[in-house]
Amino acid sequence: MSEIRFPDVATLLVVTVVAIMPVLMPMTLATSIVIFATATLSVTLLLGSAGLLSFGQGLYLGIGSYTTGILLRDHGFGLMPTLVIATLAGALSAGILALLIVRRRGIYFVMLTLAFAQMGYFAVLAAKDVTGGENGLTGLPRSFAVGGMTIASPLSFYLLTAVGFLLAFLLVQRLNASPFGSVLISIRENESRSEAMGYDVKMFKVAVIAVAGGIAAFSGALHAVFLGFVPPSDIELEISQRILVMAIIGGVGSPAGAIAGSIFYIVVSEALSELWARWMALIALALIAIVLFLPGGLWSVGQRIAMARKGRSSGG
Amino acid sequence: MGDAVTGTAGPILTIDRIGVRFGDFQALAEMSISVTDRTIHSVIGPNGAGKTTLFNAVTGVRPPNSGVVTFAGQVITRASVHARVHAGMARSFQVTNIYPNLTVFENVRLALQARHRRESRVFWRSPSARRDLKQETEQTLATVGIVDRLGMRAGDLSHGAQRSLEIGLALAAKPSLICLDEPLAGMSIDDVHRTKELILGLKQRMAVLLIEHNMSVVLSISDRVTVMAQGRLIAEDTPDRIRTNEAVRTAYLGSQA
Repeated sequence: MSEIRFPDVATLLVVTVVAIMPVLMPMTLATSIVIFATATLSVTLLLGSAGLLSFGQGLYLGIGSYTTGILLRDHGFGLMPTLVIATLAGALSAGILALLIVRRRGIYFVMLTLAFAQMGYFAVLAAKDVTGGENGLTGLPRSFAVGGMTIASPLSFYLLTAVGFLLAFLLVQRLNASPFGSVLISIRENESRSEAMGYDVKMFKVAVIAVAGGIAAFSGALHAVFLGFVPPSDIELEISQRILVMAIIGGVGSPAGAIAGSIFYIVVSEALSELWARWMALIALALIAIVLFLPGGLWSVGQRIAMARKGRSSGG
Repeated sequence: MGDAVTGTAGPILTIDRIGVRFGDFQALAEMSISVTDRTIHSVIGPNGAGKTTLFNAVTGVRPPNSGVVTFAGQVITRASVHARVHAGMARSFQVTNIYPNLTVFENVRLALQARHRRESRVFWRSPSARRDLKQETEQTLATVGIVDRLGMRAGDLSHGAQRSLEIGLALAAKPSLICLDEPLAGMSIDDVHRTKELILGLKQRMAVLLIEHNMSVVLSISDRVTVMAQGRLIAEDTPDRIRTNEAVRTAYLGSQA
């Protein structure tokens, strides 16, 4: 395993994909893809870099959504301050919960993420006056003014969310290829060794969980802005599950796997749901096939081709 | 950072009547050791004597239930593993504990980076920007004799070379006390000789607390030897006198010594 570079071929490929997506498919579909790719990045960062499996990233996505809904609708905040505050709210809550969660490892860690996510969902249902309960928050503004531009058309929403995704993507790539990222990788590879070397493993975990929580909340904020309302499903367990499935299908070995997984999941579900109401079964089949036969996910196919070509050119 | 304690001949590590209990089993009882700076202090004893338990208690992996551990003038009985490393204490493991999937170079670079606390929080640039760390990594690998294999996956190294890497990871912390848990286990004759010389050289710069079964090496390089049996100290003396100690003979050495 050689040093991770930044930027690399993946950076170029992902930027290209994001640039051509709206030409190939309806704008709303492309927008969904980049929003969920952003959410998936939070799982990819945790699982791929630090080896932490979170079953509850939907909690932070939901926190981002609801913060956005409340700030935009009830407090008249502008779009940019709202996105920033929602992101920070996710990072802060993830960081605080992490202080409790990182005390446990392995399956107990996973169970705690699950339990907190479930608690968040019921807290939202209970706090009906603020969150709208089962109805969610409706009536968010449908157009925004950002630095002299108006965001109202489908294209402008795509540009906003695509730029948001790229920022998160570049951040994760930069993190992975940094000294901080090398510590995360060392924790993934051999946690007790990292501790014995002098790394405060728990604090590194808290830091990366906070960053991932911020990214998830950011995607939730974009989702609320894009939909024009906050559905309670944004904080349901199903959304945690969905972004985890996207991450695994796409592959967690590279942040580029997040967009691969998101494209696959959303395009396939869009195509299949027209044909068959039980399309989720086919997604499950795809997940099983990938876990069994392609543990590196879809993105690893590209990596293998690149490795093979590299091997051939340096060999010959 | 590692050189905070300079060469007075006083004890750098004092283990004062510590006990470690696993349920009903008293793995370590009333154990006391005092390690003098810049000496090699070995701990020997039959399997199950509690040597590794002692190491785990000293390095914080499994803090003792009773007693006090003082290191470089500070009580560290309950300090975390990573805090002890920053105080100047490093260890190697009996069972090789490296990052098998990372390169040999990256293994040692990570260990060096850990010493530079600030560096490990840097997230905006590549690790390779620090040329000084690269040089130091190569130096450390040269010290333990595996610099020619720096690009290899650590898991692909031979057993002996993995043992050398294990020591390198501890050395990278620039400790004032290094705890080596059976560093020679499973090494070839050549590696044993080279590693013995390496350990002997370490006492110019640091104190060495050594657990080792290779008795000829222990008796030839140690300044002090502590003998343990069944979780207790049964003797502590110079190697020469340990050789002839009656209690040690019966408990451990048998007739072979």
